[in-house]
Amino acid sequence: MLKVLDSAVPVACWSCSVAHNESILFCPHCSKIQPPPGGDYFSVFGLAPRLDLDLGMLEHEFHRLSRKLHPDRFARALPNEKDWSLADTALLNDAYRTLRDPIRRTGYLLKLQGAEMGEEHSGKDRKDPSRVPADLLEEVFELNMQLEEMRMARKMGQTDPDLQADLTAAKKKFDGLLDAVDQDLRGQWKVWDEGDEAARQSAQKTMVALLDRRRYLSNLVRDVTETLGA
Amino acid sequence: MAYSDKVIDHYNNPRNVGQLDKGSAEVGTGLVGAPECGDVMRLQIRVNPETQVIEEAKFKTFGCGSAIASSSLATEWIKGRTVEDALAIKNTDIVKELSLPPVKIHCSVLAEDAIRAAIGDWKKKNGVAEAEPAAVTAQ
Ligand code: FES
Ligand SMILES: [Zn+2]
Repeated sequence: MLKVLDSAVPVACWSCSVAHNESILFCPHCSKIQPPPGGDYFSVFGLAPRLDLDLGMLEHEFHRLSRKLHPDRFARALPNEKDWSLADTALLNDAYRTLRDPIRRTGYLLKLQGAEMGEEHSGKDRKDPSRVPADLLEEVFELNMQLEEMRMARKMGQTDPDLQADLTAAKKKFDGLLDAVDQDLRGQWKVWDEGDEAARQSAQKTMVALLDRRRYLSNLVRDVTETLGA
Repeated sequence: MAYSDKVIDHYNNPRNVGQLDKGSAEVGTGLVGAPECGDVMRLQIRVNPETQVIEEAKFKTFGCGSAIASSSLATEWIKGRTVEDALAIKNTDIVKELSLPPVKIHCSVLAEDAIRAAIGDWKKKNGVAEAEPAAVTAQ
């Protein structure tokens, strides 16, 4: 579950007592390890929330912090410090896994901003028509029917070249649609990263809708690929 | 995640899988999707024009076990009810009956949406006005 604490509140270092921003793994003053900070995943890397990330730098920072948290370095540390090094490592891994993936990063940031998405969202704004890509449903359903037909035929030891060709064509089409969604997302990243509050709000709405659309498409591409490749 | 026995039962023996003639005036079709996961569901009803009773209901769901169970249960529940009675079914009733966990609530919402969409389609075809929300009469 996401927990967003106010990362602007300074906390005193347990070791040197100098106040620091709580979203860091090591005290900037005495370099001692700190308990897992309460800020968001971005702040673990010293970043403000943003969408267009330099992945090379993210990776570099991940390795650097991982090394600093390595258990060998805490062999003679206090029991608390040992515990924190494990907890901090888990947090760092989660943060890295989420931020390095463009789709997960986008979803994470939208949730930080209060958007309700994903499986724990129980369909509350389903009535918002922008969230239901009606044009897609029909196609998704039809393609699923074809996939099922093909799997059944397979089970009986038959192959249907026409069906196979249809599905291959459909896969190409949906791959293209998926690419288009990803491009649109990247466009919205810029708007969000560089825009003012109003621009951000509108970009967030657009991205929630794009991620919805993307979920249908990626399910389908996955299923078609699986069936064709079987 | 552990599924309840009722979910497993509906999943293994789904009731009323299939389709009805979309072109028939007596048939209403609802095709809905859950943006949370990308699953899709089609639910169809055949309504007796005299009595407005739903005499037949069929579904086809491409989705998780809970969505299949929810739609299977939904078809069982709406069969034999009048259209207006069927609209009274809420996703929370389905959640209770199937003991769905919080992360699976949207699967039941999908089934409720499908019932509404199918009835809406049937009403449109037959020129029946959508029922006004209860709030209007309460004013
Ligand atoms: S997980 Fe999507 S309908 Fe159940
Ligand atoms: Zn310190």
